[in-house]
Amino acid sequence: MREVIAAPLPGLDLRAHYGHYQSPAIRAGGLIFCSGMIPVDPHTGERQHGTLTSEAHVIFGNLKLLLESAGSSLDRLVQVHALIYDSIEYDVLNRVYRQYVANGPPARTVWTAQIEAGFKIQLDVIAAA
Amino acid sequence: MSLQRQVIAPPVPGLDAARSFAQPMSMVVRGGEFLFVSGLTAVDPQTGERIRGTTMSETDRILANLKLLLEAAGSSFDKVVKVNVLVHSMLEAPNMNEVFARVFPEPPPARTVCGARLPDGVKVMIECTALA
Repeated sequence: MREVIAAPLPGLDLRAHYGHYQSPAIRAGGLIFCSGMIPVDPHTGERQHGTLTSEAHVIFGNLKLLLESAGSSLDRLVQVHALIYDSIEYDVLNRVYRQYVANGPPARTVWTAQIEAGFKIQLDVIAAA
Repeated sequence: MSLQRQVIAPPVPGLDAARSFAQPMSMVVRGGEFLFVSGLTAVDPQTGERIRGTTMSETDRILANLKLLLEAAGSSFDKVVKVNVLVHSMLEAPNMNEVFARVFPEPPPARTVCGARLPDGVKVMIECTALA
């Protein structure tokens, strides 16, 4: 069975704000698959460009809202794909990342990619429901 | 308890890009309740040859092929859970999105889109996870 997880706050509905043809997250087979998370204001949907660190803080805040609304949490992350704009920021990513996955961190792959709207980071995650 | 792992053969030889391009991968693997589909590029499902087009036409072709692969595995677009789209330039993401919205039924799957350097002049690559 496949279940759509609705945006817990209006700003997190990227389809409504930016026309992305995607659901915020899908629950299936005991897992929650989240669409690529970008730094937007969870209330207004406004893009929050900044440093990789500040963007990561916004993303993790939004991810926490989304996962908790689906009955999961940041502690239940299974796999994370961290897309960053430049590998030179790898250590910067780790510094902010550690603050959110303190215990038993999830499996993770980091790579560099072009991210929409010139963002510096995007997180693509799977969590246990 | 160990879950079932099963390689699902493509319904027509042209969709077996692993064979056409000699890649050490399977196109579709079932693991438990899930199907994992390898990153697809635009190919002719009859001949397996690469089709070079625009971001829109390649997306269209890839999604048509994805549909065939999923259906051969007993799944379908409405069981797709997560899609990862790699485009050669993020400037092309809206074009990909337009085709994607036309082809996928409501409600859409979760999705991540990013720009990446793709092999062999490919403009789009799409991988997907679906319920079996």
